[in-house]
Amino acid sequence: MFDILRSGKHKTALKPKPLSQMPHTELGMDYKVWCDSHKGTHKWRNIRWSVLIFMNLLFVISFVFDLSILEGSLSGSRLIGFYLMDPYNALQLLAISSTTGYVVMLTMNFWIGVITILLFWFLLGGRSYCSWMCPYHLLSEWAEKLHNYLIKKKKIKEHIFQRSLRYVFWVGFLLLALLTQNLVFEDLNMVGIISRAMIYGPGLLLLWVLAVLLFEIVYSKRFWCRYVCPIGTTWSMVGKLSPLAVKFDLDKCGFCRDCQAVCLVPHELWFVQRGKATQEVHYAGADCTRCGLCIDTCAGNALTYTIKGWGTIL
Amino acid sequence: MAKGDFDRREFLKSGAIAVGALAIIGTGASYLDKAPMGTQLTQDFLRPPGAISEIKFMYGCIKCGLCVQICPVDAIKLAGIHEGLSYGTPYIDVRNQACDFSCDALQCVETCPTAVLEFDQFRDAGTAAVEKASKEPDVDLSKVNPFEVQKVAMKKAVKMGKAHVNKSTCLAYNREGFKGISRGLDFDGILRAPDSKYAYATPLKDQEFDREICNLCVTECPIGETAIIFAQGRRSGKLHPRVLEGCTGCGVCVMVCPTSKPSIVVEPIKS
Repeated sequence: MFDILRSGKHKTALKPKPLSQMPHTELGMDYKVWCDSHKGTHKWRNIRWSVLIFMNLLFVISFVFDLSILEGSLSGSRLIGFYLMDPYNALQLLAISSTTGYVVMLTMNFWIGVITILLFWFLLGGRSYCSWMCPYHLLSEWAEKLHNYLIKKKKIKEHIFQRSLRYVFWVGFLLLALLTQNLVFEDLNMVGIISRAMIYGPGLLLLWVLAVLLFEIVYSKRFWCRYVCPIGTTWSMVGKLSPLAVKFDLDKCGFCRDCQAVCLVPHELWFVQRGKATQEVHYAGADCTRCGLCIDTCAGNALTYTIKGWGTIL
Repeated sequence: MAKGDFDRREFLKSGAIAVGALAIIGTGASYLDKAPMGTQLTQDFLRPPGAISEIKFMYGCIKCGLCVQICPVDAIKLAGIHEGLSYGTPYIDVRNQACDFSCDALQCVETCPTAVLEFDQFRDAGTAAVEKASKEPDVDLSKVNPFEVQKVAMKKAVKMGKAHVNKSTCLAYNREGFKGISRGLDFDGILRAPDSKYAYATPLKDQEFDREICNLCVTECPIGETAIIFAQGRRSGKLHPRVLEGCTGCGVCVMVCPTSKPSIVVEPIKS
């Protein structure tokens, strides 16, 4: 019954396919040439960056030209008069306000905003918010490129932490909010700070963003997104059962693992390694940001966007 | 050593660092936001209309900026970390741009999703006023515009602070008049004065005043005679502005005051 929640990792792995069935032999190509055949494809990345920049610009444009298109900031906004709330912000607020009784004061627009945004990003994949909307993600992507370059040149060493640290922070910031009766995380929130800085003008707090970016460049890859950001953690919880996912077809895979190399959350692509897959079809898990980098790079088109259960619906 | 043990130890190690970091952040945040509680709001920093008590405001405000966005005169700003207010919370610096009620309906309050700018009080005030107006004897109901009544009542229910006149620098107290542009040509503030022929706010620098005894704070007040009057002093018999209980603290008087340091200031309500 809970199979839908599980990735299939617990099952025994399938026997890897023989060389004669590998996609490059079927095409009669050299393995290395086949692997690199999609290098330089940036279709989904370009689409995603355009959407991200466009949506963030829409906030700015709405403010500057006083249009009622997308008002507010990423902490809370109004899309053509329809409210949207940041879920972690809402969670903190709910935690404090339910203990102080303030919860009854919250407006209907608040509830509409919370429910709408949860539904919306549930349908679109939860953490897809990160890669398609979050302005810090874009900066972090560029920082990661620099970081990778420095690693390659052996200027710095990689430092990896436990991913479950996120949950410590997720619970921790909620508790902090409760204890200090203040939305503490909002003072550190990359998304909110950058969003507000873009729309309402920059402030001193951008130095904090810069500090974290620098830390990511010289010390630990994507530290904030991977180990801290409770907003991303909230979205990964929302996206657990999301219908939109990245699908993996074992028979098209050539096991080159290029996808894992470009992936922002490589642990979610555990099945691409030769001899690891337990099913013919796998879906990338809840941490997947649906960014499409793996889809762009895959030589055999083994990875695609899919809507789970679409076939059965049709 | 089993892999699980190693993982657990690593997790405990980094978890301890995380908890430590959270503790430091928490202390810092509570120091920054709680310690100066109640003293943060100054004559320069008022909360927008309808703001609830500062303690609740601190956790209720999600810093979305919708109130900033909707304000037609751009009176509301979001605080940076150096302004002594909690980061990202809205404030009005009345000397630079006061709330002149030219939105007519307290839109910042209506737009606030978490009700830290609380609309209920204004809705109640508006409803009560309309009810009262309809029960007035000898009134031709067909001639009463309920929206107008409601609008005025809601405006009057605002309580951001109360104005105080500084007698030593006030031109009227010193028997001086005023002629010219009140804040100079460099000033960008806008205002819809009560006698304005426009439906929207226009730059203050576009208007030239000529007063025998300066009474700009009285004539430009969007609330009118329930808030501030030009009255004769009991002993001196001289005319000077007197702030009444109806003052909403909107700060238009502070913005228009022509003295280099404003001779009238708004003391924020600290509840």
